[in-house]
Amino acid sequence: MNVLRWWWGLLLAFALLALLRVFLPLPFANEIIIFSIYVIGCNFLLGRVGFISFGQPAYLAVGAYGAAFYLYYFGTNAYVGILIGIAAGIIVSLAVGPLFVRLRSDYFALVNLALAVIIYYLMQKVLADITHGDNGLWFLTNLSSTPVLDISRPDQFFIFAFLVGFAVWAFYKYIDDSIFGACCLATKINEDKLRFLGYSSFNIRLLAFVIANTTTALAGAMYAVYLGFVSPEITSPARVADPVVVTILGGVGSLYGPIVGSIAYTGMKDLLSKTFGNWELIIGFLLVFIMLAGEKGIWGTLEPLLKKAFLRARATGDAADRGGSSR
Amino acid sequence: MIDMQLLISGVIFGLSMGSIFFLMTIGLSLCFGLMRIISLDQLLYYSIGAYITYSVSLALGDIWLGVLGGVIVGGLAALAVERVVFRRIYERDITFTMIISFGILIGGVGVIKYFWGLVPRPVPVPITAQIDILGTEIPVYRLIVIVIALLVYVGIWLFLNRTIIGKAIRAGIEDIEHVEGLGINVYRLFTITFVIAGGLSGLAGGLHAPLIMVDPNMGLEVLAFAFMVVIIGGLGSIKGTLISAFLVGQVISIGSLIYAPLAQMAPFAIMLLILLVKPTGLYGSPLLKR
Repeated sequence: MNVLRWWWGLLLAFALLALLRVFLPLPFANEIIIFSIYVIGCNFLLGRVGFISFGQPAYLAVGAYGAAFYLYYFGTNAYVGILIGIAAGIIVSLAVGPLFVRLRSDYFALVNLALAVIIYYLMQKVLADITHGDNGLWFLTNLSSTPVLDISRPDQFFIFAFLVGFAVWAFYKYIDDSIFGACCLATKINEDKLRFLGYSSFNIRLLAFVIANTTTALAGAMYAVYLGFVSPEITSPARVADPVVVTILGGVGSLYGPIVGSIAYTGMKDLLSKTFGNWELIIGFLLVFIMLAGEKGIWGTLEPLLKKAFLRARATGDAADRGGSSR
Repeated sequence: MIDMQLLISGVIFGLSMGSIFFLMTIGLSLCFGLMRIISLDQLLYYSIGAYITYSVSLALGDIWLGVLGGVIVGGLAALAVERVVFRRIYERDITFTMIISFGILIGGVGVIKYFWGLVPRPVPVPITAQIDILGTEIPVYRLIVIVIALLVYVGIWLFLNRTIIGKAIRAGIEDIEHVEGLGINVYRLFTITFVIAGGLSGLAGGLHAPLIMVDPNMGLEVLAFAFMVVIIGGLGSIKGTLISAFLVGQVISIGSLIYAPLAQMAPFAIMLLILLVKPTGLYGSPLLKR
């Protein structure tokens, strides 16, 4: 029973997501899932560890280029490409992590942004011989079809992304319930007390940093495989704030916030840029409004209401049961 | 090695670029020092300053009037934003103000797109004359930009050290509770500082406009460099901001002489190095109480 209770929220969320697939066009559904995975790393850093990261695209690019290099120059198997993207994410975040997590949260944000810009120029100019600069790497035709689940085809890619997303969410839910998750929250709330209890806040932050950024790199590798194309555009300075915006939009620190935020963000972007055209105006002021209105975001506002409605429904259900038995 | 003439023009180019960076980030730095907010929306006032310069110079034909207009409108925009938004959030933590000000920046870019459209606009250089320094032709306008930045630095120094309000602001940077205890209305100080910061950002935009194309995303494009300047100098320090702005300007300009792709990346590498040695930047305050 307890096991079921642990899983049912996740199952419900992903059942709804699968249902969306029926109503939405395939590219849109794929985009939503990859974007949610992209955002959950940022959400975890901001909501659980208290680090605001304006540099998530850096790790997205690391994952994407990790996969792209393999698929363009060496191999054809998309699964291996994704694994290499993840490995690249782990290596890079382990390399820069010890340096970054010592910093105060405001400096952390700035330095992360700087890393995103470094990687942008690295990919666009310095390594232009390998990355083909702004033209990007095209390797869609290099992908061979894979056994079991052929992720070089968009419809089967959706199933793959769906499963990966489910695994990622189960993992983050597990972290939330574990002692490590509690420690992460403690570094945000009261670091001194955590150290007093004998935990190393440096190690905890480093681990959280690596986990979050590896998830982002995974999203990058999935983008690369899905689009069959990578260019420096994914880490351009104009797009660095996307994950932060979506995190706030969905609800900081909530488990399903990134999914809700991604759906809202991708949907609005699609609709607004078609009808209204002035996309920044809306998203900017929406961001300010959400922050001023209590920084709960869409899911953060909905969740208590849903819970209350659910509890009430159950209470009346129970009452009806009792009434029935007594009669 | 490098040609002497190239080097001189490179140094001047770097100094003028550093001046723009200084004017742009001094607001960020002042706001952080006094109010403990990271005000990314300064880059919005920078863009507004540039656009006002463009429009006024197109209408009246005088670019200096346009720059003046940019300063005024930048300050007014800052006043409005401070009244509507920042007044409510001074007590919140830094991360919070950072996200809000970023929202204002993005929204403001939308407003700019609404009024001026997407097309980049050229602004003519007010002084096309060249001056001869050690056998190198240097555009006078760039020298004027440098002089203006230095004057602003001296002006801010005098303001902070010689006037009552400036002294109150400096005291507020040290310990805000004591200033409050003396019966000084700190929120008025905050407003004054914010408007000054916005005006200076507008000045930076106005002076930068003739050197580049004015386009809606210009604030976002320099965002990374603004970040870098304040990190290297240390948040909250005016002297540090001046030094790091000139340092970054030089690194970009000299770096592009040596190896062009390096120019954009070298400042970031230097920033990472400095942070390794001193996590709070060159002149940054140590860990803050709030």
